[in-house]
Amino acid sequence: MAIFLQLIASGVAVGMIYAAIAFGYQLTFATSKTLNFGQGEALALGALFGLTLVPIVGYWLMIPLVLVFGFALGAVVERLGVRPAVKIKSEYGWIMATIALGIIFRNVAENIWGRDDLKFPSPLPEAAIQVGDTRILPMELLIVAGALLMMLAVEIFNRKSIWGKAVVATSNDIDAAGLMGINTQKVITLSYSISAMTAAFAGVLVAPVTLTGATMGAVLALKAFAVAIIGGLESGLGVIVGGLILGVAETLTGFYISTGYKDVPGLILLLVVLSIRPVGLFGKAVIKKV
Amino acid sequence: MITLKRRVLLGALVCTTFAAFPAYAADPIKIGVTGPYTGGSSAMGVSMRDAARLAAAEINTAGGVLGRPLLLVERDDEAKNEVGAQVAQELINKEKVAATIGFINTGVALAAQRFYQEAEIPVFNNVATGTIITNQFKEPDYDANYVFRNSAYDVLQAGMMVDEALARNFKKIALLADSTNYGQLGREDIEKYLATKGVKPVVVEKFNIKDVDMTAQLLKAQQAGADVILAYGIGPELAQIANGMAKLGWKVPMITSWPSSMQSFLDIAGANGNGVMMPQTFIEDQTLPKRKSFLENYYKTYGVSKIPTPVAGAQGYDSVYLLAAAIKQAGSTDGAKIRAALENLNERVEGVVTTYEKPFTAKDHNAITRNMVVFGKVQDGKIVYAKEEDAKNAGVVRVKEKSAN
Repeated sequence: MAIFLQLIASGVAVGMIYAAIAFGYQLTFATSKTLNFGQGEALALGALFGLTLVPIVGYWLMIPLVLVFGFALGAVVERLGVRPAVKIKSEYGWIMATIALGIIFRNVAENIWGRDDLKFPSPLPEAAIQVGDTRILPMELLIVAGALLMMLAVEIFNRKSIWGKAVVATSNDIDAAGLMGINTQKVITLSYSISAMTAAFAGVLVAPVTLTGATMGAVLALKAFAVAIIGGLESGLGVIVGGLILGVAETLTGFYISTGYKDVPGLILLLVVLSIRPVGLFGKAVIKKV
Repeated sequence: MITLKRRVLLGALVCTTFAAFPAYAADPIKIGVTGPYTGGSSAMGVSMRDAARLAAAEINTAGGVLGRPLLLVERDDEAKNEVGAQVAQELINKEKVAATIGFINTGVALAAQRFYQEAEIPVFNNVATGTIITNQFKEPDYDANYVFRNSAYDVLQAGMMVDEALARNFKKIALLADSTNYGQLGREDIEKYLATKGVKPVVVEKFNIKDVDMTAQLLKAQQAGADVILAYGIGPELAQIANGMAKLGWKVPMITSWPSSMQSFLDIAGANGNGVMMPQTFIEDQTLPKRKSFLENYYKTYGVSKIPTPVAGAQGYDSVYLLAAAIKQAGSTDGAKIRAALENLNERVEGVVTTYEKPFTAKDHNAITRNMVVFGKVQDGKIVYAKEEDAKNAGVVRVKEKSAN
């Protein structure tokens, strides 16, 4: 039993890492039905930028600066990669463009910070704490708390602020929102900014556990993508549940079956969800009118 | 800032090389240097390259080889097999190198060295450890083997790791290896050697490059009652294992393949890495005059207090000297003649790893034998001798065993 709980605890920690990254996919998809395929690079840039700032301004002051950085980065991605494609009603242009921007960002990061995996300073003690029979790193708790807090903040922003309401309106019906006088173009830019901001924040959040480097986002963003699909691309709650399912499935399979097959159940689940419920576990089924 | 420094350094090097040219009447002898200077294994590649530059500069200051200066043609293979193959063709066909040194990654070596074999140009592995590397073009299938090596190959390391575990009376061995060619070939070597000793590991587990969480692997080892962990992988993931053990509050000795001496391991594992042991051909100590001058020169030239990966640096440095000696003996830059000279090297080559006396024969293309390799141990961010007797004998040069030929 102790082992089972330990596996669950580690799985939850890993799952929340995926969820924190996947959350960003959901934000832009809601408003513009497009995704930033460079999300992994936004994550890495955020973490590396944070790593550079920590010695200068300290850990806690670094976070708001990284948020600003992510916000600006998202706006750039939207302006350069997504808007031109959406304008000409291209169905695929933004896919190529965001991937291309991601590659450019990664190369820039490699030139500035090198391609080694770097250690990110942990703001909390690195010794594990004992809860019952389970041992957890304080940093893992911070990841869970930080990710939940981040999602909560975005949710409150959407519900309470006027800008957030515009985001929700645009998500529900972009044409109607436009007719009501909402500048949907700006809303889409905003959603990209918030999306990249969450990615950059997720970057500094997970970096003490995952190591920091230009390629840190490659594997994580792919897993997060699977999480977003399992949970549903339009649901914040779905992302959390999807992340937890994938994370726990990985550690349990690793222990009870084989570490060589660790990634298999998550991928099977992905296929099952896609074939039975393509919109994801928590997604809203929409009928596309042509 | 760093890039600026590097550029200045590079500029200075280029200038000195060019400034030295008028002193020679003849064209330089081109030596290819291939390795990953960017990417996950760049710490090894850069250490190797930087040390090779030092050796070449020393040789050129002393008059070069055959009255001609050595010119290193450096190419980044990015640790990618296909890039390595391209680099090999470029060095052979365009740059027309006399020989090439390098290869950090076993996969790259295997993909690229067949071009050298076909072109009959010696290629000198100074870091890659895959056992198969020097056997790829072995007699009798091939008339002559153009692949040489001065690193501790995997079978040798695997044997050392197992013997160390058994000598310390560990009965339950947990074997963890990464899922790359490197890790899985190493795992095979360890399992084979364990089988000859009649021991079966209690668990054999895999992990992926960039894996974040090692809980499942470590819990399995713990449940199986493992009293030692043998791990085959590279720096960052080996560090995640050390950190994972600390997280679980479970500590058993850890013996790994040599990359736990990488800077990334030391940085990421921090205090959790203390006590981890790994086979090393070179430890940064200044016991011998040759080592002392090499280390001082390296630190001074590159403005560091430690070689990022000392083993790669030392082996890279030695490989240039070995090659230079062979070219001198061959009296020409003809590939076949250099190969013949390497296989029967008359000169005693004093390197920093060891003093090479007849390092190669026609059948044996590995310069390093088991007696030259010691166990290093992580201690507060540095690699030190793991055993007292090795530390005491640090000043004794361990030469190649006769029986090995």
